[in-house]
Amino acid sequence: MIFELTEEQNLIRDMVRQFAETEVAPSARIRDEEERFDRALMFDRLAELGLTGIVFPEEYGGGGADYISYAIAVEELSRVCASTGVTLSAHLSLGANPIYLFGNEEQKQQFLAPLARGEKMGAFGLTEPAAGTDAGGTKTTAVKDGDSWLLNGTKIFITNAGEAETYVVFARTDKNAQKHHGISAFIVEKGTPGFSFGKKEAKMGIRSSPTMELVFENCRIPAAQLLGEEGQGFKIAMKTLDGGRIGIASQALGIAQGALEAAVNYARERKQFESPISRFQGVQFQLADMATQIEASRLLVYSAAFKASNGISYSQASAMAKLMASETAMRVTTQAVQIFGGYGYTREFPVERMMRDAKITEIYEGTSEVQRMVIGSALTR
Amino acid sequence: MNMLLVAEYRQGKVLGNFHELLAFAAQLQGQPSLFVVGDVNAPPAFPGRVYIADVTTYKEYDPSSHKKLLLEAVRREQAEMVVFAHSSYGWDLAPRLAMALGAAQISEVTAVIDGDCVVPACNSKLRRRVKSLSAITVVTLQSGAFSAQAAQTGTPAVIPLEIDEAGPYTFKGYEIATAGGVDLGKAAVIVSAGRGIGKPENVALVAELAKTLKGEYGASRPVVDAQWVEHHRQVGTTGQTVAPKLYMACGISGAIQHLAGMKKSEFVVAVNTDKDAPIGEIADVMVIADLKQFLPVLTEKLRMV
Amino acid sequence: MKILVCMKHVPDMESKFKISTDGRWYDDGDLAWRINEYDEYAVEQAVRLKEQLGDSDITVLSIGPERVKEAMKKALAMGCDRGVHVVDDRPSDRDAMAIATIIAAFARGRNFDCIFTGMQSQDRGSGQVGLLVGEMLGLPAVSTIVDFSCIGEHNYTIKRELEGGVRAVVEVRGPALFTCQLGLNTPRYPTLPNIMKAKKKELLTVPVAELAGGGNLQDTVRLFFPEKKGGGMLLEGEVPQLADKLIAILKEKTTVLA
Repeated sequence: MIFELTEEQNLIRDMVRQFAETEVAPSARIRDEEERFDRALMFDRLAELGLTGIVFPEEYGGGGADYISYAIAVEELSRVCASTGVTLSAHLSLGANPIYLFGNEEQKQQFLAPLARGEKMGAFGLTEPAAGTDAGGTKTTAVKDGDSWLLNGTKIFITNAGEAETYVVFARTDKNAQKHHGISAFIVEKGTPGFSFGKKEAKMGIRSSPTMELVFENCRIPAAQLLGEEGQGFKIAMKTLDGGRIGIASQALGIAQGALEAAVNYARERKQFESPISRFQGVQFQLADMATQIEASRLLVYSAAFKASNGISYSQASAMAKLMASETAMRVTTQAVQIFGGYGYTREFPVERMMRDAKITEIYEGTSEVQRMVIGSALTR
Repeated sequence: MNMLLVAEYRQGKVLGNFHELLAFAAQLQGQPSLFVVGDVNAPPAFPGRVYIADVTTYKEYDPSSHKKLLLEAVRREQAEMVVFAHSSYGWDLAPRLAMALGAAQISEVTAVIDGDCVVPACNSKLRRRVKSLSAITVVTLQSGAFSAQAAQTGTPAVIPLEIDEAGPYTFKGYEIATAGGVDLGKAAVIVSAGRGIGKPENVALVAELAKTLKGEYGASRPVVDAQWVEHHRQVGTTGQTVAPKLYMACGISGAIQHLAGMKKSEFVVAVNTDKDAPIGEIADVMVIADLKQFLPVLTEKLRMV
Repeated sequence: MKILVCMKHVPDMESKFKISTDGRWYDDGDLAWRINEYDEYAVEQAVRLKEQLGDSDITVLSIGPERVKEAMKKALAMGCDRGVHVVDDRPSDRDAMAIATIIAAFARGRNFDCIFTGMQSQDRGSGQVGLLVGEMLGLPAVSTIVDFSCIGEHNYTIKRELEGGVRAVVEVRGPALFTCQLGLNTPRYPTLPNIMKAKKKELLTVPVAELAGGGNLQDTVRLFFPEKKGGGMLLEGEVPQLADKLIAILKEKTTVLA
């Protein structure tokens, strides 16, 4: 076992960190405050740097790198701006990856390649008002009509919605099948008649990342845009989310790392009782725990990413990574605010934003409870 | 020790920095003579030998011919040390001359200890003591390290120099950076932003404080290179040299290039989180604080004064 | 066109330096390393020249221990075509002339049309190596460049940065050498596809003994921290009190609040 990043992985970290610090970080606070998505910065620049298709093969416009490189990229972006991190994660893991995993050659050429090159942005439409954790409860329907499908229904809490051009959307195609079996996945493009966007969510955190409803009203999708087999939707969703968890775990890891660094720097500068507070053992112990938990999370995340890149089953590993990293992010950001004291509670310092951003990582792409279910059921199978 | 001091000639004038070279020569108790590629009809006032080559023939910048002219002067003078200012002229020419002489060249000398030179290292965080091992030594002196001697008087013994030379350099002239609307030289108070401001939005904190103090704001080179502040507000060797009544350096570590542009200020306040930052060497007051917290509070309190 | 870029691996200048046990250089354990800032501009300018002319080949050379390969990989990912690592465990023992001798020995006979170096290193800061290489190879060398244009194959119009916002405009004909000042261009990020491509690029290793010659002309006696000059007042504490103290001092010692 070798605990060492490769030269490429190190170079990718350096590159993304430099980009994140010089270009992304300066506007992170204000974008959060204004709840503003900046596509030129948060997506088009990522495309120019070759990050929008990191893990896909070069023949589909990808970068040909591994999942650890991808995890590093999301981590480094999230270290300064969790909204930019989730933009990449939702685009790549949720929007593009199901097409890579389940699409036929024509679909890969037509839909995956522009996503990988970053000419188009991807998103994923699974969650519904009555089907969040329980994806089997999907109410959106798709009815075969000649050589096309008619979609009806509403998806909620969709990351990248409105901005993305290509959506992977799940709908029930067989009302009579057992609940997990009658669902199918479709590739839907923005601008298709009958496809519109509902309300934009006003969120606690990741406020610079757009979250909206998708509304389908007799939206006609060519049969060629059915992804995978009819009825295979549930499997596609679950496989996609296995990969998505690596992205969100990396996002959580980045948020936690950013908060730790901010706390360490502050503790060194801040003086109380004529001594930097970093000299106080109480503060040192807190920082030590934060750093240790982050490092443990990092090992789990990279280990799950390693499995994903090497054809080893990683469903359980990615659930563990996400569970650990997201709960660590929440704990570490809360402690960072505590170390900053009153200043930490103001919006002048980034730890306040980090704490708000961290919370969502325990919720989306499978709550912590779902991760425990995944891990627990695998253990007791 | 015979020392040949190299004066600079730019835009039709001998630059005054050769007085610092004279101070260095005096400290080493050397016998100085002067070299300049300049106006043969108007040698600088100096009570000694002045080697002059005609600037209309050899131009203000032509390292190839200037090097050969210098070699000739070194030979005739039997110089053991050749002294330049550490300037765009000096650091360009000194290594070429050293190479031709097989001499050690010691760059940016700030002091001399027992015949060894002291030079800065690691962005002025450290000092390095260097000993020359060659018969002739070429040095360049940090600007301001040796306080200039008073203006010289006396009629020099002029020794004209000529060589045959058609070098590979064609000097086309000068380009002056377009000055903006701000003349920092006239401001009584300058508040400057350095790398420590972290991000472009924080320029506003510095500008606001400057406005409150009825002054102007400036910046150090990294901030200008990052295009957070326009070039005409740059303080330092490659920007403007200023001497206001109050200079406030915010998040400026104090690289020598910056110090050279502001150290004649009457009163210097540094705001920095790093107690060891070199700016502390010349600051009258060093405030250890995060400028993002400190500047807004200071500005607010000054408004109430 | 054959292009050579020389670069140095230096510590991040924000690092806390410690003096090495022999007292003559800094201790190089426990430091974060990066490409010398000036050399990043040199790499970028080389890549831009190649993009302008097409059909060019960029060699990047660095002298130092194993770790300099990291920096060279980055230069390859920025667009250099091959790396030459001159393996030397203690390059800090060599003076500028000795370093230049090594580079010139490598370049001699390889017919580089254009050589870029940084104008100085951030750690040693002598600003001599590039110019010495030019002299050793008999090439015209222009230092401190802040603007570079290549007209036709081998004609260059260069702006040198002088003091006080003045630039000198100089023309030279290649082959030639240029030392790059900060701000010459905007060094690019190595993009992900280029990082992946860099993996396949050639990185040659040359033992320093094959290129080195002659000894030092100068010797570092010791490296030390400058003494703090007294006089300056250090203010520490809570922000509001700091502001009050500073205002009191400005009132007393200056006339700007009058």
